[in-house]
Amino acid sequence: MSIFRSMVTYILLVIGAVIVMFPIGYAFIISFLSGAQLLQGVLWPDEWSLRNYVTAFEKVPLLRYLWNSFIVSFIVMIGQLLVSSLAAYAFVFLRFWGRDVLFFMTIATMLIPWEATVIPNFLTIQKLGWTNSYLGLTVPFFALAFGIFLLRQHFKTIPFELYEAAQVSGVRHFRFFWYVVLPLSKTSLATLGVYSFLTTWNMYLWPLLVTNDEKVRTVQIGLKQMQTQEMATEWGVVMAAVVIVIMPTLLLLFIGQKQLQKGLMQGAIK
Amino acid sequence: MFRSVKQNFEGMLYIFPSFLLFAIFVFYPMVRTGYLSVHMTDFQGNPTNFIGLEHFRYLLEDVNFQQSVKATLLFVLYTVPPTIIIALSLALLANEKVKGIQLFRTLFSSTLGMSVAASSVIWMFMYNPAIGVINRIIAALGGEERQWLLNPDTALIAAAVATVWMNIGFAFLILLGGLQNIDSSLYENAKIAGVSYMYQLRRITIPLLSPTLFFVTTVSLIHAFQTFGQIDILTKGGPMNATTVIVYSIYREAFINYNFGFASAQAVVLFFIVLLVTIVQFAVVERKVHYQ
Amino acid sequence: MKKLSLLFSLLFLLVGCSSEKTEQASAQPSSEDKTQKGKTEVVFWHAMEGDLGKVLNEIVHDFNTSQSTVEVKPVFQGTYEEALTKFNAVAGTKDAPTIMQTFEVGTKYMIDSGKIEPVQTFIDQDHYDVSQWEKNIVNYYTVNGTIYSMPFNSSTPVLIYNKDAFKKAGLDPEKPPMTYSELKEAARKLTKNGNYGFSILNYGWFFEQMLAVQGGLYVNEENGRKGEATEAVFNSEEGLRVFKLIQDMYKEGTFYNVGQNWDDMRAAFQSGKIAMYLDSSAGVRTIVDSAPFEVGVSYLPIPDGVERQGVIIGGASLWMIKDADEAQKKAAWEFMKYLTTPEVQAKWHVKTGYFAINPAAYDLPLVKEQWKKYPQLKVTVNQLKETKATPATQGALISVFPQSRQRVVSAMESLYQGVDPKEALDRAVAETNRELEMARKR
Repeated sequence: MSIFRSMVTYILLVIGAVIVMFPIGYAFIISFLSGAQLLQGVLWPDEWSLRNYVTAFEKVPLLRYLWNSFIVSFIVMIGQLLVSSLAAYAFVFLRFWGRDVLFFMTIATMLIPWEATVIPNFLTIQKLGWTNSYLGLTVPFFALAFGIFLLRQHFKTIPFELYEAAQVSGVRHFRFFWYVVLPLSKTSLATLGVYSFLTTWNMYLWPLLVTNDEKVRTVQIGLKQMQTQEMATEWGVVMAAVVIVIMPTLLLLFIGQKQLQKGLMQGAIK
Repeated sequence: MFRSVKQNFEGMLYIFPSFLLFAIFVFYPMVRTGYLSVHMTDFQGNPTNFIGLEHFRYLLEDVNFQQSVKATLLFVLYTVPPTIIIALSLALLANEKVKGIQLFRTLFSSTLGMSVAASSVIWMFMYNPAIGVINRIIAALGGEERQWLLNPDTALIAAAVATVWMNIGFAFLILLGGLQNIDSSLYENAKIAGVSYMYQLRRITIPLLSPTLFFVTTVSLIHAFQTFGQIDILTKGGPMNATTVIVYSIYREAFINYNFGFASAQAVVLFFIVLLVTIVQFAVVERKVHYQ
Repeated sequence: MKKLSLLFSLLFLLVGCSSEKTEQASAQPSSEDKTQKGKTEVVFWHAMEGDLGKVLNEIVHDFNTSQSTVEVKPVFQGTYEEALTKFNAVAGTKDAPTIMQTFEVGTKYMIDSGKIEPVQTFIDQDHYDVSQWEKNIVNYYTVNGTIYSMPFNSSTPVLIYNKDAFKKAGLDPEKPPMTYSELKEAARKLTKNGNYGFSILNYGWFFEQMLAVQGGLYVNEENGRKGEATEAVFNSEEGLRVFKLIQDMYKEGTFYNVGQNWDDMRAAFQSGKIAMYLDSSAGVRTIVDSAPFEVGVSYLPIPDGVERQGVIIGGASLWMIKDADEAQKKAAWEFMKYLTTPEVQAKWHVKTGYFAINPAAYDLPLVKEQWKKYPQLKVTVNQLKETKATPATQGALISVFPQSRQRVVSAMESLYQGVDPKEALDRAVAETNRELEMARKR
């Protein structure tokens, strides 16, 4: 590659990174400012005091919430990977009655605004006695049309001859699914796993509805709990909470990126 | 014959978990929503009396709802194409094999780790007319300060910009994955043939990336139609309903006004709009998608 | 994939370790099981975020340790709207609370829901003396002679101004504007160098207050107090004066549009962008503490030549839920009585800025001392004391208040786009009327 071209690439990369990272950096800086400094428009903290962070932890049981968010996100991730990959496998490799109709119905579920289904779903969870438990927070999200769609797109790129060969040599479906299809789809599985973990981590309205106390509440509710309406919000503290809330997911992304990348590479070598 | 029964049974077995859950948590509420949309409801959301299509008839002539439809379509237009274009550019950049590229890949995908609530709080602060950084920068450059979220002309665009930022990480990651799946020998051949970068992009990259692009576009479109969190935090649907997208309007009718019947009718309308768009996506666009 | 899951379990461990510690640390008295101690458990749903929640938890903790029969468990349930949504869904089931906090616009809604027990029942049973409560506050929650809920966090609107800016503009900082013309005049002098004179949050509550202070009604049937309201009437002369004031000042360039976010408004004031604005009395203390200049507090301005009627009480009250069992209701009533004691009210007042519903609290040393430090708090109390009890200041009683407020906010916003005040108001009234009609059909 010519020096000129790699120079241009670097410049563009840096510009892109600065723009993308700016809001996160901004939040980080704000989290070190006191309320008064903020309102007077101070843009750079004169001391890097952790005061706001300490206050944030004092105000709401953030650690408990973080832990709950982890459990809930992890369970949903595993559940989604299992349920979605099974369904996607059926849609790509199996022939059965009504397959296309069922696939269409799956896609159609993506079209329903989630807000419209909240109340009936809440009542269902209540009838099942799952309120204020990890069950109520996770099970409704196990079946994910997006996940089925994503995996179907990937499974489709697996050569059908492989499947036929397996059929001829009498390999059972589940063995083929478990030992051939899943390993070949690390890319999409990893992507879906990270995606479902992150989206679950970020849910707000549903956890608020189905939980009754801090035992199983998640961290987004804690974030909301810090903002007040009738009294002035301490923005420095809220930003500190924002940083605390995004830190685990960013960390996951930063550490997981390399694994993710490797998965992507392996997926490429078919 | 035996084989086909067995195949049928096996297929059903694999999709059973998904459809059991769909039946309980998606189809049932959906039917319920349809049912409620032709009823008046009490404050608990129980249907009281059947009113047929009256909610829909009212929606047709309601200027506020027309405004919602307009805001929704504009919002989709302001968010989806920019997200795809920016994410694709970043993915192409990050696909270059230069030193330290791993770091940039990580940075570019970072917004995926940001929750809507956290991101919106940050953007709200940046947009703040008095102390936010955006007006500070504009003022420093000699421009005129603006109340981004309070002016009906800029509020929707401001919310869209924040949304594009939030969505870039996800689209970037998927597109980068797609790019890396492209057989690199194709590029080497192209290099030997000495074609230009743009030609290579048009003839090799885009066609081979089309399944991924199709996927990202479809999902982004659906997500854009269902945007809620950032609207709730940034503008609450204002000013003058300029940012009241349909989902926000549904939320407001159902959870603030306790008008579940009317909210359900809006949900039904939204469902059909998104359905239409998706059918067009699949019928027209998927034909151009190049599956291997 | 393996490595990824390894990564997850690693993160798990990390957080797991640290969270176990907090579990022990956060085992607050409130989370103990009732069966263990034989205490009656009372679940109390509230919407008090941030510092307010902290003070509330302290008060509950004090109560729980002060006696051995009742254990109150406070649970945060999001905003008032979110809490009410959830209450809607669980009312009548085991998940329902015993005490529920709701904002003032939900009053009519709660009464109509049929899920609540008026506190009057307990007042009568107990021969509790209500005259010790602030009459203007009780006034709001009394419907047809019955006190339905227990007032708890009550606030009113006040004019807040920057004394330093007043001095700089050559205005007397001890003489804040009381009338519209004084307000306009002061705002003109205060507007300079990109800073503005005055602002009102785009929020229905402030409009309702500026209407009531002139004696204007919001809906017919004496504000819905005499019978079921059927029509909105706030497009009256009084309402029009408010809208005209906003538009006139906005056109003059002395009024700054702060949007609908409370924090943006306060940020604008504290950064000097606006010199005067309307705020809730509950916010006064924090403003005084955090502003880098001297803060003045005054009454709501009125149009020239109009007699001041006073303000409507805002905030929220506590409701007793009907389906709870007798023992729980009794226990909840004990807690409510505790809340209204002068000592608790004094603490509540000085720590939050909400009113003491029991005026005896104002005579306690704790309050007197704080008032010396924050004379601004006293202004808010006086404004309420001077309020005349009329249907206008009693506040409107309609179930579609949330909708109506949304319409009013839209109307206020349209003023900045140059829409005629009369037209904007008429439209908001027409839309509110439709909502009222829809509500009657239910």
